[in-house]
Amino acid sequence: MPQEDRRRRFELLALPHLDAAFNLARWLAGNTTDAEDVVQDAYLRAYRYFDAFQGGNFRVWLLTIVRNAFMTWVKENRSGRMVFVPDTPVADSADTEKTMWGSAPRDPESLLLESIDSQTLGRLMEQLPAEYREVLLLREVEDLAYKEIAEVTGVPMGTVMSRLSRARLSLRKLWLQQAETEAAHGV
Amino acid sequence: MECDRAGGLLSGLVDNALRPLARFRVSRHVAGCDACAAKLEELRAMQAAIRTKLPYHRAPPGLAARIGAALPREAPPRVVRPWFRMPAFALAGTGLAGALAGVALTVLVSSGSNDPTIAVIGSHIRSMQAEHLTDVPTSDQHTVKPWLSARLDVSPPVRDLKDEGFPLVGGRLDYVDGHPAAAVVYRRAKHVINLFAWASAGKADETFRGERRQGFNVVTWRHDGVTYYAVSDVEADQLAEFARLVAQGT
Repeated sequence: MPQEDRRRRFELLALPHLDAAFNLARWLAGNTTDAEDVVQDAYLRAYRYFDAFQGGNFRVWLLTIVRNAFMTWVKENRSGRMVFVPDTPVADSADTEKTMWGSAPRDPESLLLESIDSQTLGRLMEQLPAEYREVLLLREVEDLAYKEIAEVTGVPMGTVMSRLSRARLSLRKLWLQQAETEAAHGV
Repeated sequence: MECDRAGGLLSGLVDNALRPLARFRVSRHVAGCDACAAKLEELRAMQAAIRTKLPYHRAPPGLAARIGAALPREAPPRVVRPWFRMPAFALAGTGLAGALAGVALTVLVSSGSNDPTIAVIGSHIRSMQAEHLTDVPTSDQHTVKPWLSARLDVSPPVRDLKDEGFPLVGGRLDYVDGHPAAAVVYRRAKHVINLFAWASAGKADETFRGERRQGFNVVTWRHDGVTYYAVSDVEADQLAEFARLVAQGT
């Protein structure tokens, strides 16, 4: 394929997903400048390996590359700092769930999750480990199926489910803490 | 099923990702267990909150151009192709551009053609598909023009042609056929018109040429070292009129 055709084909497929790629990178890297670098690196990689794309869901393929580009970026720029916490060894996942739920769920009226504003939610999200952020983003924002999330993150589907579960419970815990702090300060 | 077992599967239930048997058993448990029902409710509320309220970070303007410029490319030989004359017949209204876009995109991808007309049509389609029509969404020409001029080596003509039936929608940085390009966005009724402009220093002026391709009408001309492409699914004579109005301002 002539270079120009290949390039045009690539742009037609890849550029419509630029916002999705950037949003993921931005949530993972934490700021715009680094996210731009990650996305640019990802697009160059995707272009290089474009011939290896075997059809299927291009967005999933591209997001996988964005995710890998982020991992590389972490290694090169944040050595020594753990961004992805390893999954805690789980002897019995039911026990973990029980511990993580902590306080019994309150009735929906008192939790008022509906009332959370975007900014607060974003701030809480940023406090989650990257491996939790990424599954939440892939699931809730990109609306990917477990199988696709497993593909992007390179973990088994069972792990996707337990990680999503823990991500949600961690976010809930942060949200409850936040609500309590606000209540204590009479906000 | 007990609470402990069910608890781990609640997330799967929320995501509709359980196998039928597991889904059945968890659902049955939840129906008879207030504690797990409350947990499920909370997980659903959290999912809804993230889906509706988590800030979405759009790609900053210029990132597409930056990536385009970084992609490796061989200097392509400039292919000179014959321009087709503007079809004299009126073309049937193509209806919603969006409905057409999906089909057209497929055609474009497989056609592998090699000229700027295809590139601008692709860009036109993308601008509507990616919900990234404009970087500066304003009908104020005095905002759009300086915004584009500051970021490009061309200063495209930006005039609100509302009185002539082509209201200005905004501007966008784009990347077309190997050039960083200004895209000035107009509307004609429900139809979007993308006006692309990029610098072609040292090239001779060319008068209007129109063609219909992939279900879109395209009019191109070159004036004063700037190449213009107007792309839309409006009818050919309307697009020709639009091009004439734009050129009057240059």
